[in-house]
Amino acid sequence: MSKHKKNRNVGVVGVGMSVFSSHREEVNQPEMIFEAVAEALKNAGITMDDVDCVVHGNMELFEMVHQPDLWHTLGTGSRGKEVLRVTTGGTTGATLVCAADALVASGLHDIVLAIGFEKLQEGHTTGGITNMADPLWARQLQTGALTGMTAADMIEEFGEERAKKVSMRYRILMDENCMKNRKAHRRLGLTMDQADDLAVNSPALVGELRMIHMCSQSDGACAMIFASEEKAKQLCKRPAWIKDHITVHREEMFCIFGDAPYKTTMRYAAEKLFERNGVKNPVEEFDVFEMYDPSSWWATDWLREFLLLEGDQHLKMVENDEIAINGKLPINPSGGVIGSNPIGATAMVRVAEAAMQIMGTAGEHQVPHEVNKALASGFGGTMWTVLFILTSEVPQ
Amino acid sequence: MSQEHRDCFVVAGKLALPYQYFAGSTGSKFITTLRDKKQILGVRCDKCNKVFVPPRKNCEVCLSPTGDNWVELKDTGTVVNWTVIRYAEPHQPVAPPYILALIKLDGADTPFAHIVTGIAASQMKEGQRVKARFAKKTTNTIMDIECFRPLPPKFQVGYTYDELEIGMSASFTKTITETDVYLFAGISGDFNPMHLNEEFAKLTPFGTRIAHGALPQSLIASVLGMKLPGLGTVALEINTRFLGPTYFGDTVTASAEVVEKLEKKRWVRLNLSWTNQKDQLIGTGTALVIPPAPVQTD
Repeated sequence: MSKHKKNRNVGVVGVGMSVFSSHREEVNQPEMIFEAVAEALKNAGITMDDVDCVVHGNMELFEMVHQPDLWHTLGTGSRGKEVLRVTTGGTTGATLVCAADALVASGLHDIVLAIGFEKLQEGHTTGGITNMADPLWARQLQTGALTGMTAADMIEEFGEERAKKVSMRYRILMDENCMKNRKAHRRLGLTMDQADDLAVNSPALVGELRMIHMCSQSDGACAMIFASEEKAKQLCKRPAWIKDHITVHREEMFCIFGDAPYKTTMRYAAEKLFERNGVKNPVEEFDVFEMYDPSSWWATDWLREFLLLEGDQHLKMVENDEIAINGKLPINPSGGVIGSNPIGATAMVRVAEAAMQIMGTAGEHQVPHEVNKALASGFGGTMWTVLFILTSEVPQ
Repeated sequence: MSQEHRDCFVVAGKLALPYQYFAGSTGSKFITTLRDKKQILGVRCDKCNKVFVPPRKNCEVCLSPTGDNWVELKDTGTVVNWTVIRYAEPHQPVAPPYILALIKLDGADTPFAHIVTGIAASQMKEGQRVKARFAKKTTNTIMDIECFRPLPPKFQVGYTYDELEIGMSASFTKTITETDVYLFAGISGDFNPMHLNEEFAKLTPFGTRIAHGALPQSLIASVLGMKLPGLGTVALEINTRFLGPTYFGDTVTASAEVVEKLEKKRWVRLNLSWTNQKDQLIGTGTALVIPPAPVQTD
């Protein structure tokens, strides 16, 4: 077992995001990225001259562009810089953070700019996802990114009425958060009294997964600036420190050889990460959780996994509004992935939003209580989980 | 085929990957101006003093905004690099072989890629001047420029010193008439009756009128000045030995052949000869010339 000790601390000192939208015709890919980069530099109070290395990533194939790190130079500002490109599917944004963290922690670079982006309207998501499936056994059967499995499982476990109500309640809470986030893509203005109507009238996709439950296809970019402890303290009054992170994945979406129970990558990641960081009671100890929530079914189910809950505790958290922005453990005050999903950036946006909550720069969607410890997760096919702990206190 | 290969199944697959690309406001203005005004636009970074084409919203060097600093560019440019596509694929815009070139438009600091047609690959060279040909039908893409075509030079200058080789020759042939002789008398003021008065001419050794010697001699001027070396040549010296007369109606051929290259001065010496329709040599000589220097002609 490795010691898992960082060579030096790494702090987030600046975050920038483009506006997330279904269509960004007015900007091409590098221009959209530049919006995020310019904002991140401004927020960190530095220029490109201060940046040692650029880490760039996207969801491979989703925008039909090969080697975007090269022809995005106009927007990334990476001309003449060291550049690393990361493409780990849906988790790309999270892996970008891991890479930037490692580059600074190792001592290789003092200041690293990480950029995640996506223009889902330009590419062919299902084309890209189908490509991942086994050509002999699965590709002919692939349906794309959608699955109704979790909905079926939850309905079986908790009954149709309660399961559906909880997932719709989660969905509407997320939209309420989106309404506070000017950069969010889907800001629908939903209210709780629409829940029953939506549950019936929203177009069905797969099983009980309906359009309203599912995340959007968004265009957008996110940029984060990581600095060594020394630099971070110089640049930022209250940096968000990357305390620790873990990446867990398994090959298949579910057990294709039978119904044998298995441990989800979410629970596995949480158990490992919490253990080595002395987290005993995540619901009590964390002040906010930015979770990669691809659908409101997955989101509610994964709450139980990430927070190491048992039975119906996770449902109660939703039912009692404990996950609301003013609740005990606010989940996705940004509105989450359901609100905005520029895939190559999405997982980074989780960490970026968690960092903003610690830095106190989240603006209208800043949670009302002080945020000292934040959890953020990334997710991608097939069942990749990346989980981060961010702190306001310099890690020991 | 071995048994283990025989029953192995190969899965044939095909994934359709339709996509779109948002050009952005800067890229869109480039395309719409190309489409509607047949005009190529670039943007200038005032800080770096560079003109970029295709345009970009911010400078690639200093990241300053450039998207609103439009510059109209000429539709002419210079090929800075090129290659020949010789294989065929369905995605290609035209049937191979074709020339793909990097073209630096006049007024721009960056080259961009396009197809060059109208010139053989064997004749293509770096520095080739080209001009955009706009497509008749718009596609709202860079193919609204159908292709670039070689820019024909205004003047075809003659052979330069380096292009001239010993043994190269050229000639000019013309029939000398009474009209030519009479006009030449007027041009030169030489109204000698041996050229104009048949009765007087009968008394000369030739027994009839002959042309002025300088008239067939002057035919070499068109060879040296327009053929070998050609346009741009400066004649330094022409020596002629007259060997026989030119009668009215004779067809004279004036010829020149490169015999010496004077490396130090970069001059060229040519042997000259004049013959008539009976292949009789009526004159010989030499010429010393300065061949044309290589010049940009458009």
